[in-house]
Amino acid sequence: MDSRDAATDGEIVRAVLAGDVERYAVLVERHRDRFARYAVRMLGSHDAAEDAVQDALVRAFDHLADCREPEKFAGWLFLILRNRCFAEHRRNEREARMPEEAAGSVAAPDRSDGPAERRERAGALQRAVLELTPEQREVLVLKHVEELPYEEIAQITGATVASLKMRMHRAYDRLRELMKEHV
Amino acid sequence: MKNAYHDLVKRLLDGELTLADLPPELRAEGEAALQLLGALDRTPVTLSPVLSSRVMGMVRERSRSRARRALRWLVTPREVRFRLRPWLVGPALAAAAVLVLLVARPQPPVPAPAGNIVFVRFMLHAPGAKSVAVAGTFNQWDQNAAPLIPAGTDGVWTTTLALPVGQHQYAFVVDGRRWVADPAAPGVDDGFGRRNSVVAVTRQGARTL
Amino acid sequence: MRLFWLTAAIAVAAHLPTRSALAAQDVAARLEGRAPATVVRAVQTIAQDAAARGLPVEPLIQKTLEGSAKGVPPERVVAAVRLLAARLDEARTALQGAGIATPGPEALEGGAYALSAGLSADQVRDLGRVSRPLYDPALTLHIAATLTALGVPAPRGVQLLRHMIQAGRTPNDLLDLPGEVQASMARGASAAEAVEALDIGDGGLGHQGHQGEEGREREHPHRP
Repeated sequence: MDSRDAATDGEIVRAVLAGDVERYAVLVERHRDRFARYAVRMLGSHDAAEDAVQDALVRAFDHLADCREPEKFAGWLFLILRNRCFAEHRRNEREARMPEEAAGSVAAPDRSDGPAERRERAGALQRAVLELTPEQREVLVLKHVEELPYEEIAQITGATVASLKMRMHRAYDRLRELMKEHV
Repeated sequence: MKNAYHDLVKRLLDGELTLADLPPELRAEGEAALQLLGALDRTPVTLSPVLSSRVMGMVRERSRSRARRALRWLVTPREVRFRLRPWLVGPALAAAAVLVLLVARPQPPVPAPAGNIVFVRFMLHAPGAKSVAVAGTFNQWDQNAAPLIPAGTDGVWTTTLALPVGQHQYAFVVDGRRWVADPAAPGVDDGFGRRNSVVAVTRQGARTL
Repeated sequence: MRLFWLTAAIAVAAHLPTRSALAAQDVAARLEGRAPATVVRAVQTIAQDAAARGLPVEPLIQKTLEGSAKGVPPERVVAAVRLLAARLDEARTALQGAGIATPGPEALEGGAYALSAGLSADQVRDLGRVSRPLYDPALTLHIAATLTALGVPAPRGVQLLRHMIQAGRTPNDLLDLPGEVQASMARGASAAEAVEALDIGDGGLGHQGHQGEEGREREHPHRP
């Protein structure tokens, strides 16, 4: 497989639909890490994110005929992944499972600001992020990790800018609440 | 909420304002808020290299199985323990007494093949029947999707299906016309004046409800 | 990296049909050839409305397939689907009252199933509240529905499940309850007597813990 295949996404989708299944590998290589950071921050662990991305890529193949604009395969894949992340959250809620996260120290916070303390704070913040609702977490990740403007987030999520800001502001307050021992 | 940031601080976090735009009494709160958000992990992520081959493996498997869309007989589960349910013969079923055994998976639970799938065996004692099928929410109520086959002993029909974890409604179809719920399980009204049975599938086994 | 997201945003916006539109497409695709055209049209409307209200469409499709497979007259199929949509809505209200902000489709189906078995909305809500977070309400609602179908009065069935949950019984133990009630009844007990024999009471919690909400619940006479 030549991952430097010069064909566009749309051409490859059409080729796969016509029967050249092996070409799907090009799409996999091109897009597998594109939304990886989003998935990891949404689900809280590398393993969960890998499962989600894997499922999304397979599901995208299963439903490739439903991709109405093959040139926009990436966006369509993202939709599938996003649904999967939200479904994962519902499943985790049902099973009362907290996603694994790199173990941070639960000792009383030190007021100094060395690297260990910074790591601990980052870990605590990630745990706090996982306590947000999935909608709040998503806008936080898209705005502050992926650094997208509200207008783009609105296009991606289908929400209005106003409601996104409301969600984001609630998330800020909630994070402050959850992180208060670390401030 | 007790820990609410001031509105101006929120707009600072949104990137609409700078610290210099805040009134002096809010700057400390603004700095603390920026520091909190600054701790967000933004490192780019690369997923495991084997992800690609796993995906392609599944993709190839799926395109192969689409190619041979014949009815598949599933692998039978090993060493099954029979759980005999109480035998209730209602007046409507006097003509053909039916007995359904639902087989539980052995303990400790055997790992399911695809994580969320459990093999469940359905059996019906229907002597004199010419065909028996099971139809339910797991096969879109298609009576051609899951025929039972005679198991050898008199009048017992059987099939094994791979069902996902969860609750599924079903009924048996005898001779293509007669819809028979599991008489040993209460089930509920199907909304059409008949009864459906429910099988609750968990990773440790299945029960009719 | 920004460019990827911009492309994704544009693509996603193009792919965002409303839930209603998706529902209508889904219904048409799934029912084609399996149900008469009049039924398909009617169910499409019901499904569009349900989807617009955020309710799952899959159970409606399943019920249509079921009715058609069973040879039920078209008007009856449509009536049953309409009733199911109403029950899903009622189940959602009840589960939201139990503190579940967005009940999943399985929980909603369980709730609708329980309502059709004769549980009241309040009982669905109570069971939802007592089930989370460790027990799947879809499962407990199905079990409660079955107990009711066996003849156990609905509040008694809910109470039995509550006691079992509080005692930390496994989901499989809960799944065994209908069978055990049935076995007792096959030996001649009434449904109520069967439940009495199985119930473990509130486990001696007395007036602490979960008893708070049910202060008016009478003491179980056979509590160990």
